[in-house]
Amino acid sequence: MAAVVRLMRRSDWLGVPAVLLVLGMFAWPVVSFLAKSVTDPHVGLQNFVSVATDSVYAKVLSNTVVISATTTIFTLLLGYPVAYTIARASGRRRRLMIFVVLIPFWTSLLVRTFSWMILLQPHGVINSLLLASGLIEHPLELIFNRTGLFIAMVQMQLPFLIFPLFNVLSKIDDAYMRASANLGASPFTTFWRVYFPLSMPGIVAGSMLVFVTSLGYFVTPALLGGLRDMMVAQLIDEQVADIGTWGVPAALSVILLCGTAMIFLIIKRATGATRKGARR
Amino acid sequence: MKDEMDNVPPVRVRSEDAVASIHRRRVLQGVGALAASALLNPLARAQAGRFDGKQLVYVSWGGVYQDFQKKSYCDPFAKETGARIIQDGPVNEAKIRSMVAAGGNPDWNVIDVTDTFLFNGTAHNLFEKLDFSIVNKSMVEPAYVTDYGIGTCAWSYNVAYNTKAFGVGKGPKTWADLFDVKRFPGKRMFRNRVYATLEIALLADGVEPSKLYPLDVNRALKKLDTIKDHITWWTTPSQSQQLIVDGAVSCGVIQNGRAYDASRKGAPIAIEWAQNLQSVDYLVILKGTKNLDVAMHLVNRSIQPDAQAMFSNNTAYSPVNPAAFSRIDKAISPWLATQKDNVAKGVILNAAWWQDKLEALDASWNAWRLS
Amino acid sequence: MKPGCIWRTLRGAVCLFVALYMLVPIAIVVVISFSSGQFLSFPPPGFSLQWYRALNDPAWTSSLATSVEVMIPAALLSTCLGLGAALMLQREGLPGAPLIRGVLLSPLVIPVIITGAAFYSVFRPLGLHGTILGLIVAHTVLCIPYALTTITSSLAMVDWRIAQASASLGARPFTTFRRVTFPSISSGVISSFLFSLVVSFDEVVVSMFVSGPDARPVTVQMWSNIRGDVDPTIAALASVLFVFALLILLLEAIFGRGEATEQ
Repeated sequence: MAAVVRLMRRSDWLGVPAVLLVLGMFAWPVVSFLAKSVTDPHVGLQNFVSVATDSVYAKVLSNTVVISATTTIFTLLLGYPVAYTIARASGRRRRLMIFVVLIPFWTSLLVRTFSWMILLQPHGVINSLLLASGLIEHPLELIFNRTGLFIAMVQMQLPFLIFPLFNVLSKIDDAYMRASANLGASPFTTFWRVYFPLSMPGIVAGSMLVFVTSLGYFVTPALLGGLRDMMVAQLIDEQVADIGTWGVPAALSVILLCGTAMIFLIIKRATGATRKGARR
Repeated sequence: MKDEMDNVPPVRVRSEDAVASIHRRRVLQGVGALAASALLNPLARAQAGRFDGKQLVYVSWGGVYQDFQKKSYCDPFAKETGARIIQDGPVNEAKIRSMVAAGGNPDWNVIDVTDTFLFNGTAHNLFEKLDFSIVNKSMVEPAYVTDYGIGTCAWSYNVAYNTKAFGVGKGPKTWADLFDVKRFPGKRMFRNRVYATLEIALLADGVEPSKLYPLDVNRALKKLDTIKDHITWWTTPSQSQQLIVDGAVSCGVIQNGRAYDASRKGAPIAIEWAQNLQSVDYLVILKGTKNLDVAMHLVNRSIQPDAQAMFSNNTAYSPVNPAAFSRIDKAISPWLATQKDNVAKGVILNAAWWQDKLEALDASWNAWRLS
Repeated sequence: MKPGCIWRTLRGAVCLFVALYMLVPIAIVVVISFSSGQFLSFPPPGFSLQWYRALNDPAWTSSLATSVEVMIPAALLSTCLGLGAALMLQREGLPGAPLIRGVLLSPLVIPVIITGAAFYSVFRPLGLHGTILGLIVAHTVLCIPYALTTITSSLAMVDWRIAQASASLGARPFTTFRRVTFPSISSGVISSFLFSLVVSFDEVVVSMFVSGPDARPVTVQMWSNIRGDVDPTIAALASVLFVFALLILLLEAIFGRGEATEQ
């Protein structure tokens, strides 16, 4: 213990409160719950075996990953131009745009979900408008399926991508772009080979946040998704609440944790080389 | 099956004020009845102040349902005995399990739980055994009494339809009709829960109610397959109301209390009573509750005829105490699940049978849902 | 048309689309909150303030107050703790840095129902269950990952040479931080504070486990309400919050300083 303290630099102490809080209040009890994956109902790996062999779990886990990844991609496609625009704007216009992006935040998840039900259902606002304008002949199936789920999830996740990204983009030095242009690069080349790589830390931060939080969604898929879109948190909730087993839910959580950790490590390796700036 | 109740019209649209005055009348009736019973009931007088300073937490499903349980059971009890009943909720089964696992005096004491949770919870030792010297079980239909929980209100799953889609009295009447997309087109709504859904499918497939259990799961799932793409699944009861009101579905499965509520507010909804699936909510006492005697008396208070009648008159959830029927409003009687005619057509859900099967059937159900 | 023009038009179209995407669901909710009908239906049959009157109920006002009492300390704490952790993890050669970062980010990954049960099990013996303090602790832990990610990405953009120059000119570490580093990451810190506010405010499942009759945030109240009743009360609530947020942002626009831009 004393050796650890001696090895710590002054800046390290800054992180201690956070670490202590999370370890003591969260990590410790969570580990004892996760331990149930190998102790409930009896000691052994049978829960992991069930998860590995039963196709239901494979389907649900793959749903979760696919839906989260797709949500992340859509969010990135929509969010990058918006973050770029906000970063280029200044003063009042910037504040107005930030406000527009922040709006959904303040109206809770539950309210927004019911609002989407009203917007997306067969006689809802969107279908009525499309039918009235003659663009479609039959109402589109926009709800209780993956489409509705994506529509709702992307809207909820956009701010979580736009903000970290915008923070990074607003700090990108214009000088690089000007230098690139002066050296004869086309605007597209400047963007793709200078600006975009510089924005990587923001893209990675925002995407990871969106991806990881999407994995845990269950209210939205339960209320707006289809049967076949069941995500892992819904399954965990049903098993704990209705049946009272902790073993398989714990095993699924362990798998989520390990999977996410692996993805983090892979991304870190992949982007480590492009990290800019000298470290202290 | 001849059905005189076929043409019960849905409750007509009433203006806000009329509804409010009807409620006022009912509440006054209820209060009057309670006052009368308190004066005439020597037991009530003797209990005054008996539990002064004692506190209990009563937990239920929130919204109007819990509001009226509070007004019908908890408030009179508090007034008569001096106990303090705190309301909390909504019911969260995972939290209940955590509470009991943590030991000691649980945060929640008396809880309104579903029938499946009663049986599951009993098997997991979550509840206190009821003391029948305090809780007068003879007041309640024997089918709704168990060692660890006693019925508090009865309700049913009914066939419901949007009267704008089909016309009053011309919608689906039986579960089999729900599976007939040609005669009754449009999306239908089902609850996203295996319990009761399998029973509905089997009844629709022609299984005799008396031969329902043990459930033939494969047959039920095959029947559901025939309309799988036409089904919209609801998770919370409020969704079931919203779906019919919005016209997102033309018919489906709904709880009778929800249908009554929607209809009362002017929604174009009607229900049928053929083959209705009867179910009951139970009051249980969590294991480790300190003020156990207070809890037992509260449970006993909830099954008294006046409390039962007051709750039913306001919500259309049915009394479990037959004696309460003499105090039920004529207007609301047709909506009650345990009203004589409705019971005769009903099929009681066998929650006890589900107790051991839920885990196993869950696997097949999940596989079917994801396919 | 010049290729630059095409991209700019496309970008503008995406921004407009996103603006509508964000605003339309909220607009619907605000309109419905004035409905004279009894259901969440659009368009509403008529105009009425009945749902705003329904909000004037102690259950709603006290739960809103609880939410505010919880989210502000939780956001402040998580931003500070997240800042500290981000600065700590900056250092090269910190032993176990990936593991520490993993632990701090784990609240994002663990399914909320397990998180809720875990908090409950640890709060019970400490007497924190059903208290405002318990809610603050739980929400802080849940917000730290957001603060950490946002501030870390901001730190990635700091030009450390200036900080080194400042140190070599004799400034103490805290002064360097205060006058060089912090201004560069201030927008990240503010973002993480705002994120934490919203995450705490919107937290349903963990709050259900940790709340009690005396400490009941508005999300638990809404969840309780939504399960049973489906009327525009929650639309009225959402509109109130929306106006509240609007006011704050308008105030910031009028009285706030301009954003310090780099170079």
